[in-house]
Amino acid sequence: MAGEAQCLSYAGCNFLRQRLVLSTLSGRPLKIRKIRAKEEDPGLRDFEASFIRLIDKVTNGSRIEINQTGTTLYYQPGLLYGGSLEHDCSPSRSIGYYLESLLCLAPFMKHPLKIVLRGVTNDQVDPSVDILKATALPLLKKFGIDGESLEIKINRRGMPPKAGGEILFSCPVRKVLQPVQFTDPGKIKRIRGTAYSVRVSPQMANRMVESARSILNKFLPDIYIYTDHMKGVSSGKSPGFGMCLTAETINGTILSAELASNPQGQGATVLPEELGQNCAKLLLEEIYRGGCVDSTNQSLALLLMTLGQRDVSKVLLGPLSPYTIEFLRHLRSFFQIMFKIETKTPEEEHMGGEKVLMTCVGIGFSNLSKTIR
Amino acid sequence: MEEKEKKKHRAKHSGPKAEKKRKRYLNDLGIGDEENARKRNPKAFTVQSAVRMARTFHRTQDLKTKKHHIPVVDRTPLEPPPVVVVVVGPPRVGKSTLIKCLIKNFTRQKLVEIRGPVTIVSGKKRRLTIIECGCDINTMIDLAKVADLVLMLIDASFGFEMETFEFLNICQVHGFPKIMGVLTHLDTFKNNKQLKKTKKKLKHRFWTEVYPGAKLFYLSGMVHGEYQKQEIHNLGRFISVMKFRPLTWQTSHPYVLVDRMEELTNPEDVRINPKCDRKVSLYGYLRGAHLKSKSQIHMPGVGDFTVSDVSFLPDPCALPEQQKKRSLNEKEKLVYAPLSGVGGIVYDKDAVYIDLGGSHAHQKEEEEVRPNNELVQSLISTHSAIDVKMASSKVSLFMDSRPLGSEDVGQEFVMPKEERQVDLKTGRVRRKALFEEEEKENDDAVSDEEDDQEEEEAMSEDGSDGDDEDDAEEESDRELLGEEVALGRAKRLKTEMAREEAMNELPAFADSDDDLEMSSEGEEKTALEENEMEEDEEDEEEEDEQRTYENESSDSEFEAASKRVAESKQYEINSEDAEMRSQVSDHSLKRKAVLTTDSGNCTAEEASESEAENSSLDEGDDEGSHGEDANRKGFQHAQAKKADSIRQTKPKALEAEDDDDVENLLREEEEYEEKIDFSTDTTGALKWKEDLTQKAAEAFLRQQRSTPNLRKLIYGTAVEDEDHESEDAGDELGGLFHVSRPDKASKQKANALDCSKFLIEKPQDWDLEEVVSSIRDCFVTGRWEDDKDAAKLLEEDEELYGDFEDLETGVVHKGKSAAEGDESGSEDDTEDGKMSKPEPEEEEKKKERMDKKRKLKEMFNAEYDEGDATYFDDLKEEMHKQAQLNRAEFEDQDDETRVQYEGFRPGMYVRIEIENVPCEFVLNFDPHYPIILGGLGNSEGNVGYVQLRLKKHRWYKKILKTRDPVILSLGWRRFQTIPMFYIEDHNGRHRLLKYTPQHMHCGATFWGPITPQGTGFLAVQSVSGATPDFRIAATGVVLDLDKSITIVKKLKLTGFPFKIFKNTSFIKGMFNSQLEVAKFEGAAIRTVSGIRGQIKKALRTPVGAFRATFEDKLLMSDIVFVRTWYPVSIPTFYNPVTSLLKPAGEKDSWSGMKTTGQLRHERGIKLKQNKDSLYKPIVREKRHFNKLHIPKALQKALPFKNKPKNLEKKGKTPKDQWRPAVIREPHEKKISALLSALSTVNNYKIKKAKVKHREQLKEYLKVKQKEDEQKFKRQKEAKKKIYRILGQREKKRQKSSLKGSSKGEKSM
Repeated sequence: MAGEAQCLSYAGCNFLRQRLVLSTLSGRPLKIRKIRAKEEDPGLRDFEASFIRLIDKVTNGSRIEINQTGTTLYYQPGLLYGGSLEHDCSPSRSIGYYLESLLCLAPFMKHPLKIVLRGVTNDQVDPSVDILKATALPLLKKFGIDGESLEIKINRRGMPPKAGGEILFSCPVRKVLQPVQFTDPGKIKRIRGTAYSVRVSPQMANRMVESARSILNKFLPDIYIYTDHMKGVSSGKSPGFGMCLTAETINGTILSAELASNPQGQGATVLPEELGQNCAKLLLEEIYRGGCVDSTNQSLALLLMTLGQRDVSKVLLGPLSPYTIEFLRHLRSFFQIMFKIETKTPEEEHMGGEKVLMTCVGIGFSNLSKTIR
Repeated sequence: MEEKEKKKHRAKHSGPKAEKKRKRYLNDLGIGDEENARKRNPKAFTVQSAVRMARTFHRTQDLKTKKHHIPVVDRTPLEPPPVVVVVVGPPRVGKSTLIKCLIKNFTRQKLVEIRGPVTIVSGKKRRLTIIECGCDINTMIDLAKVADLVLMLIDASFGFEMETFEFLNICQVHGFPKIMGVLTHLDTFKNNKQLKKTKKKLKHRFWTEVYPGAKLFYLSGMVHGEYQKQEIHNLGRFISVMKFRPLTWQTSHPYVLVDRMEELTNPEDVRINPKCDRKVSLYGYLRGAHLKSKSQIHMPGVGDFTVSDVSFLPDPCALPEQQKKRSLNEKEKLVYAPLSGVGGIVYDKDAVYIDLGGSHAHQKEEEEVRPNNELVQSLISTHSAIDVKMASSKVSLFMDSRPLGSEDVGQEFVMPKEERQVDLKTGRVRRKALFEEEEKENDDAVSDEEDDQEEEEAMSEDGSDGDDEDDAEEESDRELLGEEVALGRAKRLKTEMAREEAMNELPAFADSDDDLEMSSEGEEKTALEENEMEEDEEDEEEEDEQRTYENESSDSEFEAASKRVAESKQYEINSEDAEMRSQVSDHSLKRKAVLTTDSGNCTAEEASESEAENSSLDEGDDEGSHGEDANRKGFQHAQAKKADSIRQTKPKALEAEDDDDVENLLREEEEYEEKIDFSTDTTGALKWKEDLTQKAAEAFLRQQRSTPNLRKLIYGTAVEDEDHESEDAGDELGGLFHVSRPDKASKQKANALDCSKFLIEKPQDWDLEEVVSSIRDCFVTGRWEDDKDAAKLLEEDEELYGDFEDLETGVVHKGKSAAEGDESGSEDDTEDGKMSKPEPEEEEKKKERMDKKRKLKEMFNAEYDEGDATYFDDLKEEMHKQAQLNRAEFEDQDDETRVQYEGFRPGMYVRIEIENVPCEFVLNFDPHYPIILGGLGNSEGNVGYVQLRLKKHRWYKKILKTRDPVILSLGWRRFQTIPMFYIEDHNGRHRLLKYTPQHMHCGATFWGPITPQGTGFLAVQSVSGATPDFRIAATGVVLDLDKSITIVKKLKLTGFPFKIFKNTSFIKGMFNSQLEVAKFEGAAIRTVSGIRGQIKKALRTPVGAFRATFEDKLLMSDIVFVRTWYPVSIPTFYNPVTSLLKPAGEKDSWSGMKTTGQLRHERGIKLKQNKDSLYKPIVREKRHFNKLHIPKALQKALPFKNKPKNLEKKGKTPKDQWRPAVIREPHEKKISALLSALSTVNNYKIKKAKVKHREQLKEYLKVKQKEDEQKFKRQKEAKKKIYRILGQREKKRQKSSLKGSSKGEKSM
């Protein structure tokens, strides 16, 4: 009679993070079967195991059961606890992989989260820490999660394959979120960025900046790309370089793009000029897609809208990424929430591609972990 | 005598008369007197005291801010649910009578018996749900949680009763609804004065409980068993204009006060196992927040459930349509109380019930609503469920008419309607389930077509048609039975089958939007209207068919499809189709291309998978032929094809860019077919290969763009799931086939890389000019929209402030005449469409003027309000805006879609299906007890540790004991649990308490349902029976939720010294091993006598002993202890109160776990007390101290002063020192005897004299005191006199001096 919520069941390891995060937030137990069941190397990988360990760290009273081969995972969520923590991330995925989920969970902890993550800060697969710092934090601020303690600090940079990076992520706790009406992205007023290089010539960064500017200068004069060359301990264990660019509009929307060099000993060497140009083009591509939230943070924005009060929230997005689409499906199964999806053609001709207007009524979520005094 | 010159008249300068005169004079002058000066010149009197002014200002500000509440977003729906009015009071106080009177007042109907809630329309905008609350504490708790208004009946002849106070306290805990007291039995007072007194007394007591000034209503007396009409009318007026405050719990949770219950369990299951879990549907108005289907609910008194289905029904007690008129007419004065048997016919989702409640008293009044008595009689057939009864019963409205079956009744009310269709060829009679919208567009041709299709389906060997064949058999059966045969349950099934058939008949559209179906049907209709070109019509019709087949059939099925098509004599199309198919098969390469390019896209994946299925089908599986599977596949297939078609008809698609209607897509498909023909004829087969990737990308983007596709892409269709379910049921019914459906999850790449980045498959070439220009305006350097462009805005402003004349220079500035621009605009308009009339031009002008006006007003407002816009105002404004947005966002959508996005909104009449309900709920159903469905928020269905702040109620007689089970009412729930009480120490430690403190808050933790922080709760020890005492044991609030607890209790470990050095001692008996000691190294220890110390290190022997140091030397008799804190575990006991499952009449006798005290009392077990804990008199033994022994050597060494002296006992006195005894002579003896006698006498005398003297002294002192008092009094009088005189003199002197000065002043 003591009704435990119905267990949700999924197959396959894809979208593991989404599922664990939503399960934790909704309090519904979760079962994932057939994790790489048919592959030569079945079961959970080390980075997934590390992620599960991280989830275990930030929660209190969660039950995680994994079968012997690691192909089945049962997760019964506990309450989000937070506090001061440390976690060594697996170097096979970058810190962004872990940080993305922490960004979803951090505002709903019992104690403000202050966590040190060690691992790869920038790689080619996941959104880098720089990008999340530049885009996700302003997004959180829009939902009322702000304050001095909201920050991501990059102590050390670490590139794959050997990692060695370290960041500090801290986030305050909120009881309820504000609804947002975020339908006008506004025009881009400036482009900022960082070109970083570790354990290579510091000149690489300058070369990247030059080439990126050459493309972006056609659109906007207000461009400033910082060069960030880390030395010594703070440069991690592997060489590499890369760049991230952000375009900020007058309404505070931030669109971003990034590229990193191939890891040492994998793939062909990349010229910094080429990388800079490609990165600039990626940014233009992102601008073409447009929207009020850039493509990596779509799901975060939608989640925070879902977890708002019982008010209408609206956000204009670019085309939905496959990850977001899956996320919407998961949102429906975990929270019984459906978004109203309308496509919007920009009225003007030269405003990029078609946009999607997402509207939803929040579920009236409140932070059940936070103590009242 | 010379007349003496008369004394001249001297005007009076003082005295009242002069005063009066002066006043008049000043008044004439307009200056007025002193008091008026304040009025005359207020500014001069504003600041008299800065402090005082500051204080007054402060106070006004305080009062102002006191009125502020934290603004909340107003989420009340436009059409709110009926207000819940709970009538509560002790027994025999007149609750039922009041309800009846109120109902009669509002609806002019007389209810005989009231069971459950009664909903009435009380006004143009308000409905009321009135419910009676008995004295069972379960009921009181449940109803207090849902009440909007409480009518608290108080027997004035008796005064307040415990129930009243209990209910008030329950209300206080669970959010305070509006409470209105009603005094009854006032006619028992004969004495008017006493009546008045009682009224006042009760009123003031009521005010202290609720709030000062709370409304207390007086019902003076009964007339013919009813309250006085005018008083009830007034009470009704009060209720119907009352405003309610939103309560936190109620507004954040959906809830339903159930007013109807139906059982839906399969009778067969019940027959097999009468105790099986039941499936019930519950009805009621949804209140509070939005309810989502598949969410968790709690039914107080029953338990937690998951909603298996929710649907909204037409409002049975709707508000009147038009609001214009002042009062309601008789028809609009509705009453709805199914449990009381009012309201007549009730509509369900798929059935109609006629409720035959026992109330016959108001038959005449409800002639038009309620069925005839005969009708009732004919309908009654007991021993079967109501729907079976309904289905099998026949009624004849007139004596000799044909009896009507349930299907006839259904025709009027049931949502899907039936239509009999006679096939001309076979002569079969078919029943088709029609929905209202469908009916409009359906006509014979369609049915013909369907019949054809049906025939074909029957002919084909597909597995799915097995059902149809069954159906056909049944139908023939029905033919035999004829029309007059009553429809049984099987028939109902059949109708469902028929409906299902209808679904199967349109497989391509089964999972698409409704309007899609419409459109296709519409097409058919229009096609049919053009009857002249029969061939064309046929073509089209069959094309439609073919389309459906296309979607349904995969490549493997193609032959079958072609066969079917061949049967329908469609050779050309067939050939075309064949061509297309070949094309498609040719295009496999192209599809691959799509796959590679669109790997990010899920549909592409699906498409690929569908292809995989197709290939598997090629191998010869016939599972794909299963209707539903085909449906889904068809859908995917259609999508894939859509992509294809779009790719092919790119230019056309560009023309009709915005048309994402599927109809268009279908047309495009046709065009595409034609185009293929064309292309194959003329330009060759390789043309389509041009720009494949580009096209693929385009197609992908297009798919993303079109809304319904996007929605479908993400969520599938909402209808789809339901369809699947229903089809599942159908399969079970058929009992022959099992659907082997590929797992949905496997459709995505289940084990792909988990990455949130949206990779760009095909970046655009940013070197090209047109590509660059596509985002040019995204930058501030680009062109701005008109309403934001600075230059444009300036221009507009100029227009706004148009003409003005510079007064200084005299130059007249003229604004650009807007007309010019307008003209040009209008000219454009006219050029655009010659048909446009001059009216729009005028309108435009008008609009412009309005715009101008609005803008001016806005500016004025902005300027005007700028001053006193506080933070509070801003916040309020923000909330208001949000509320408006909430209302507006989904306003224009129909309820079906709205429900999907928002959930079911409050105010809807909903039907909630719940499965696995205990059978006792149904068997022991008692409408007098309220059933409430409370929605649970996220993870509120889970259990964990809950921390509370708790205080024992000051009226509760006992104190509460830790580990004794109590019943808590928290959130929606009532449950029994075992709380542990604790108190927080100054260092944040939670120390266990054995009992609750008397007049203080304490903490409590229990294992139970997670409930949001800040929720109030109350505790009772028992919900059964009635005690004369106050039942609410404790109240409080939830503070924290956790999965672990931190309560500790004190544990003292004791040990004894076995060797004592100076400050170091060896202690044993405290621990059992070295390891234990090691754990406690450094811990603070203490002796009972207060010597503090520290544990140092374990000793090897004896085991568990250790070395410790102290601040002083111990004694061997000392007891050493260490204070430790031991975590307490909380029993995981959570037992919901299932009072509703008790048999009728025993519902208030639920008893859960008993306390140990109760058990002991019941079984007569005496507690065996520890002998040591008993108190006994303390007997202190006399201590004997041994002599201090100083060794001789030491004595020698001591200085003299410290040497023990004279300590040695004196030896016996030697004989020579003995004193001799004196023996007196007789003479001496005499003398001494005389002397002693004399002295005795003397002593006596002296004693006597002393006593006497003492008495005399006493007397004297008494007299003296008296005299002193008198003297003192006298002196006081005298002093007083003197001082008075002195004072008078002083005063006089002062007066005289003042006078002198005033005189001086005056003279000055």
